[in-house]
Amino acid sequence: MSQNNPSQLLPSELIDRCIGSKIWVIMKGDKELVGTLCGFDVYVNMVLEDVTEYEYTAEGRRITKLDQILLNGNNIAILVPGGSPPDV
Amino acid sequence: MSSGGADKPGSGGGAVKTPSDFLKSIRGRPVVVKLNSGVDYRGILACLDGYMNIAMEQTEEYVNGQLKNKYGDAFIRGNNVLYISTTKRTLADGA
Repeated sequence: MSQNNPSQLLPSELIDRCIGSKIWVIMKGDKELVGTLCGFDVYVNMVLEDVTEYEYTAEGRRITKLDQILLNGNNIAILVPGGSPPDV
Repeated sequence: MSSGGADKPGSGGGAVKTPSDFLKSIRGRPVVVKLNSGVDYRGILACLDGYMNIAMEQTEEYVNGQLKNKYGDAFIRGNNVLYISTTKRTLADGA
């Protein structure tokens, strides 16, 4: 029913709108990343800049700062435009 | 390269850098490759393809920030790769 609806937003268009802005990437498993989206491809592999990586382990949360990364899209679960993890 | 994505600049106004552009720019540079298992490999990126298969030189393996092995030349199969990171900053600061 939604075919040919000009107001329909493709998922890739939603990601495209985030280019140049912060994006919160929630991976499968206990890992999240926040960074500025530089670009992505059809597999949603992503180039991110000024990245903070959060890993949740039994010992608590580990934070790693990274300059620029190419993130493999295979394990991406959720993308949140402009969001960030709660400071637990 | 196998990247088929057609990207347009977003309203953020930043320059678009696709994964394919990133791959071209990091050849020959020091990188950190993180696998899905959490292990880090640091070294000089010699060659890679669109599947994220990677050939590295002067490769060092770090588990939880501790150096475990040195491999010299190493090939990493792309399906294991979580991310490839440039290393302007030392990773030890954050790990």
